[in-house]
Amino acid sequence: MDIFANLAHGFAVALSPINLLMCLIGALVGTLVGVLPGIGTIATVAMLLPITFGLPPVGALIMLAGIYYGAQYGGSTTSILVNIPGEATSVVTAIDGHQMAKQGRAGPALAIAAIGSFFAGCVATVLIAVLGAPLTKLALAFGPAEYFSLMVLGLIFAVVLAKGSVLKAIAMIVFGLLLSMVGSDIETGASRMAFNIPELADGLGFATVAMGVFGFAEIIRNLDAGAEMNRDLVQQKITGLMPTKKDLKDSAPAILRGTALGSILGILPGGGAVIASFAAYTLEKKLAKNPSRFGRGAIEGVAAPESANNAAAQTSFIPLLTLGIPPNAVMALMVGAMTIHGIVPGPQVMQKQPDLVWGMIASMWIGNLMLIIINLPLVGIWVRLLRVPYRLMFPSIVIFCAIGIYSVNNAPVDVILAGVFGLVGYWLIKHDFEPAPLLLGMVLGPLMEENLRRALLISRGDWSVFLTRPLSAVLLAIAAFLLTLTLLPMLRAKRDEVFTESEN
Amino acid sequence: MTSIRALATGACAAALASLCAFVAPAKAQTYPTRGITMIVPFAAGGPTDVISRIVTAHMAQTFGQSIIIENVVGAGGTTATTRAARAANDGYTLITGHMGTHAASVPLYPKLAYHPEKDFEPVALLAGTPILILARKDFPPKDLKEFVAYVKANAEKVNAAHAGIGSVSHVSCELLHSILDIKPVGVPFNGTGPAMNALVAGQVDYMCDQIVNAVPQINAGTIKAYAIATVERNPSLPNVPTTTEAGLPAFQAQAWNAMFAPKGTSPAIIASLNAAAIKALDDETVKKRLLELGSVIPGPADRTPEALATLVKNEIAKWTPVLKPAT
Amino acid sequence: MADTMGHSATATRNTSVAIGFCLLAIAPQIFEFIWSIGTIFGWGAGRGPATVLISHATALVAGAPAALIGAASGDTKKASSDVLLALIYSYPILVVAIVTLFMTIRSAQDYVGGVILMALALFALWASSDLQGMRGFSFGAGTAPRMFGGLLVALSAGIALTGLLTDGPAMAHYAWRGPMFVMAAIVFFALAIRPLGVVVSAFVSFMIAATGSHETRWLEAAIVGACLTLGCAILFPYVLGLPMPMFPRFLVQ
Repeated sequence: MDIFANLAHGFAVALSPINLLMCLIGALVGTLVGVLPGIGTIATVAMLLPITFGLPPVGALIMLAGIYYGAQYGGSTTSILVNIPGEATSVVTAIDGHQMAKQGRAGPALAIAAIGSFFAGCVATVLIAVLGAPLTKLALAFGPAEYFSLMVLGLIFAVVLAKGSVLKAIAMIVFGLLLSMVGSDIETGASRMAFNIPELADGLGFATVAMGVFGFAEIIRNLDAGAEMNRDLVQQKITGLMPTKKDLKDSAPAILRGTALGSILGILPGGGAVIASFAAYTLEKKLAKNPSRFGRGAIEGVAAPESANNAAAQTSFIPLLTLGIPPNAVMALMVGAMTIHGIVPGPQVMQKQPDLVWGMIASMWIGNLMLIIINLPLVGIWVRLLRVPYRLMFPSIVIFCAIGIYSVNNAPVDVILAGVFGLVGYWLIKHDFEPAPLLLGMVLGPLMEENLRRALLISRGDWSVFLTRPLSAVLLAIAAFLLTLTLLPMLRAKRDEVFTESEN
Repeated sequence: MTSIRALATGACAAALASLCAFVAPAKAQTYPTRGITMIVPFAAGGPTDVISRIVTAHMAQTFGQSIIIENVVGAGGTTATTRAARAANDGYTLITGHMGTHAASVPLYPKLAYHPEKDFEPVALLAGTPILILARKDFPPKDLKEFVAYVKANAEKVNAAHAGIGSVSHVSCELLHSILDIKPVGVPFNGTGPAMNALVAGQVDYMCDQIVNAVPQINAGTIKAYAIATVERNPSLPNVPTTTEAGLPAFQAQAWNAMFAPKGTSPAIIASLNAAAIKALDDETVKKRLLELGSVIPGPADRTPEALATLVKNEIAKWTPVLKPAT
Repeated sequence: MADTMGHSATATRNTSVAIGFCLLAIAPQIFEFIWSIGTIFGWGAGRGPATVLISHATALVAGAPAALIGAASGDTKKASSDVLLALIYSYPILVVAIVTLFMTIRSAQDYVGGVILMALALFALWASSDLQGMRGFSFGAGTAPRMFGGLLVALSAGIALTGLLTDGPAMAHYAWRGPMFVMAAIVFFALAIRPLGVVVSAFVSFMIAATGSHETRWLEAAIVGACLTLGCAILFPYVLGLPMPMFPRFLVQ
């Protein structure tokens, strides 16, 4: 078969010493970037772009790709340890991951995230190699109408993943949608709710809001009088580092399902990976015998989204490798890196640059192997970090977050905004509002609005496009089904709440 | 504890090293005595960024000082340009401006916090990227003449994609539309990538875009090009006729990129920057890399600061009537 | 705690909640006034404090009622932004404040949370009131923000109602020390990073943040802060190559 010849060729390229080294550097830098709160992959890849000038193009791209998926591994670490999701895709991981850490199970949470990511990475790499070309059709089949319906579905996921009041969860999503509308309007260029602040002209950054409502708010809350006791408890409770047999058995199906969802949704340019992690979490919660465990430290709630986001990170290379169209900002940077080397990726890149394409695919598998070898031993070190007294931990986190946010756009105003969102997040905690749906609303909001407006522009205002296009109709039907499934038990919600309350 | 100590030792070493780095070049009194920051108003990896990086890499060699690229994105590049306009005029903060930030922004953003002519000293024109008229592969018209007739007849039905308000693809399509005197529906996308995706998928009918993004798609036949809006054909697309050849000579547009310094930067510094930029443009590797991008390298007459000042003036005059009624 | 509270206690708490809402109702005006003081010293742009004070006062006291009457009598003259702020934001919150006085709050957590969220939604409605709405099949810039703003008003009203109708937790305790010092550290960092560089701003911010906890031991914090600063100074500009100034600007030049 062709595939095997191609893969063999790819491995031959990827296993050359220089490319192995590049892959390792990429994986290490990616892990570092993922672990540091606020430092995004986009900023790092952008900064490392000039270094790739002096490297052979294949090595350069292997390294940049390594940073990209390495950051997905590292991103879960801060989510779990200190409840700060560095990327939109690890917001869901923070929900159950940080709860696990609070229960002294940070080790198993980190380990299962790495194992899930590794499995997903391997499967997705094979998928790229075998089905890359046919799957491209999916990316092209998604027009504005389909995206809008997908985003609606994504917002329904956000309702489902809420652990408390559904009304409050919906309110948080809408609040997130409103926040996402700050900035320039895509169609008219009009400035919306930006109050003539130049830094708001392009809207609130995800990192800014996420660092605020998760990172800073968590710190401020932990400084409250009376919070010390809980923290000391966490530090004493730390149990085993590795998942138990039961953990593995519980997570295995979640990892499988997460991988499948992530692989499919990752192909869709723009927002695919985020929706994948949320969808995987929602699916697990809906399938679970006892959904109330979710949000309180369920290991499936870490395994599924982590597998999904890593699978999506891999399959998001498909549009780049088969069409030459970058599906997200990091991939756009990789196109930039190729352009600097005189390779402009296009639909023919697979035929014209087999070294590059197959070398990269093979390196992804090698990179994933390196990452799990790097990450599993690191679990012990990370968990030990939790033993650092909080009085020293929290100012350090403040500094790391501040530098991280500043580095995204080199904008001091972003840092202040994150601080303001820290206060907002503190307020949210005090009134029992959940920040995760807010962030999801913020990420999906612009995609939903833009695609709605695009679809209506193309259809000249005819709303029926969302139902007459089959893919869009199916997505909307799933959304409606999920919504009823969520709203029906609302009547019984009272009883469940009493039940879980007494359980604690 | 040992790890902290090791870290601290390393840190001291690095701090010392960096101090030495600061002290060493202070001997030389001529500009530049330290690293220069080049603000690029667009995301890394885009055409403006790539051109800036290729040229500044060579300039850094000439100066023996590093030139750090700082990508400041936002509001069609005007955020970065505002920052550059307010930066110290000591020659250590420069900006790669382009058609959007230093010409089209004037009519597009009524509250613009800077003026391209009043707040900047022109340094040198670096390179231009030609603009193409592109369409989905099954769009009925076969050549530019048919295209003009078709969109004029179906102005109510056709959809033009663009990469967002203020982007090159948006303003150049507005120019095309004003020449053809039509107002078709413009479908906005978030950047060139998604817009190109929609064009390849056939969700929109046509767009105007820079050559860099389009060449591989045209060569693969996933989209088609009607014409290139420059005087001469481009070596990377020898089969695509110019707008003049294809019968629409009025449509001339190029996304030019040029280096600017904040107002009041001393003429001596401008002169040495200009000389370094010209030296870079004459370098064979730089030239080759720029040509691979489909860029047009300015001729000797267009490389002086004065020529750039004239270009900015003419471009503002060109875009103002086109974009004023649009907003 | 709630069950030990008598009727009179609830009443006094209601009054303080209502007064809080009144302040909330004119919070944007107060904020603009404080902000405008800066213009005297030439910081930032905007209206002077006197203008701000007079224009908001007239808008709140006279302008808005006039606009209301005008609207009722079919006068479609466009109201100024200050009058709109009073109409869209301040009046509804003031009404809620008055209503609060006569209500029994059964879950202060939900009620207060809902009302503040409503204030945010109303503020967003005001902020997007100058944007263009639907024009033909084109959505316009303002439609979506107004739609979601309206939806959020309804949802937050629902949350506030829940707080009136069902029993739930009382107001949680807000601390001041942690938020204040963490915020101060963040603001200091933001203001200092460009002029003073990573080394100074990271260390000083570390110490300011450390002040936020009463557990802090000074010597230990200073040592860790110094190590962290050194670590950051190597990690961010060198290992990751992020462009940020290292030392204060005046020292480098």
